[in-house]
Amino acid sequence: MTDTENLVTRLPNDIGGLPADRIEIVDHELEAWEKRCHALADVLDFQKIINTEEKRCGVEALGAEMVGKLSYYERWIVAFANILFRKQILTPTELALKMAEVEARCP
Amino acid sequence: MSQTLHDHDHAHDHPAIEQAARPGYYEMLETAVRELLVEKKLIAADEIRRQIEVLDSRTPALGARIVARAWVDPDFRARLLADGRAACEECGISFYDDTSLIVVENTDKIHNLIVCTLCSCYPRPVLGLPPDWYKLKPYRARAVSDPRAVLAEFGTIIPDNIEVRVHDSTAMVRYLVLPKRPEGTENYAEEQLAALVTRDTMIGVAPAQIQGSAS
Amino acid sequence: MVFAPKRQLGIVYAVGEEPAFGPGDRIRIAERRPVGHYRVPSYVRGKRGEVEVVIEPPAIDNEEEGFGRNAGVRRHYYRIAIPMIEIRPDYRGSRSDGLRIEVFESWLERV
Repeated sequence: MTDTENLVTRLPNDIGGLPADRIEIVDHELEAWEKRCHALADVLDFQKIINTEEKRCGVEALGAEMVGKLSYYERWIVAFANILFRKQILTPTELALKMAEVEARCP
Repeated sequence: MSQTLHDHDHAHDHPAIEQAARPGYYEMLETAVRELLVEKKLIAADEIRRQIEVLDSRTPALGARIVARAWVDPDFRARLLADGRAACEECGISFYDDTSLIVVENTDKIHNLIVCTLCSCYPRPVLGLPPDWYKLKPYRARAVSDPRAVLAEFGTIIPDNIEVRVHDSTAMVRYLVLPKRPEGTENYAEEQLAALVTRDTMIGVAPAQIQGSAS
Repeated sequence: MVFAPKRQLGIVYAVGEEPAFGPGDRIRIAERRPVGHYRVPSYVRGKRGEVEVVIEPPAIDNEEEGFGRNAGVRRHYYRIAIPMIEIRPDYRGSRSDGLRIEVFESWLERV
């Protein structure tokens, strides 16, 4: 199996059985936005806009580099944006304009 | 100060996040997505607020009460082992999603350990949100190939004559471990028993113990 | 609950309605390596195990669900028991140690 074949057929989250470090028993209190992000995931599921499996698929589709470098909820929110684009619920331009508006409100 | 944790192997410094600082990129992204969906009337702002309350109300204390009840009531224990979700609902713990719950009991012969290698499946309605270590690579990668070493890193040594059984939740089923009732608790009231049941005992990385005993 | 045998009732089961496997059946998890989304981890592919429980009722293929397909033929998931020594031949824990994992019917082969 070539290296690139492995990239294509092994998802970045498919890590069961791989070598890994000693466990660091870490936890953190969720930041407010992270909790809102989790609530958003649940509400999108209840409203049948994005189901749990679609979310997982969306996170996987970010690819190994982003999965490795983004934190848990950072991955979720980027995945949601991508899925909402694909479902034509939002457009990238719409989101970019709204983000600029949000940023302009900040101190 | 809080830190977000990244799921990769090499260590690096995370910038400290100060209270009331300018929101980060991802917080702004979350805000923008949410506001657009509300503007388009696909979700309501109240639904998010309500779901945050739902999430805040789900803590390991709920699971602890289920375990304590199972320890004192053999008929309830039997119902819990037959259908975890129905038994939880019987105790007033609603499941807000479509998942089912299987409760696996630790015995003198079997020690159970729960993991989700592919993501972070966890019995959230009855335990709340999982700890970071459960979602990070070392636990997810090694629980299914070296469970005894993983348990040892939590200070839990299982004798060789006890089977270690690892459950990888990949589908709609979620798992909860029913830990063994500690010796010396025969006269404990149900509330006292519940106080012995921590989140980690219901994931299976630690046995339930009387406070202050050697780990 | 008691069911009359289907030949007496004359009913025919829909596709996927009856489980293809039963408790105790020896199975092997398929070796295939799909492109894109899957929910059967690589570390169990090709491994042999035994059906411990048939999970009822039949349900949607969660791999299809990842693409927003909430309809479709429902089949069974099965809890499969696989010895740790089968997961990795160099396993050094107790020989009785094992794994339990739920697998959709389409990934199971009879041995």
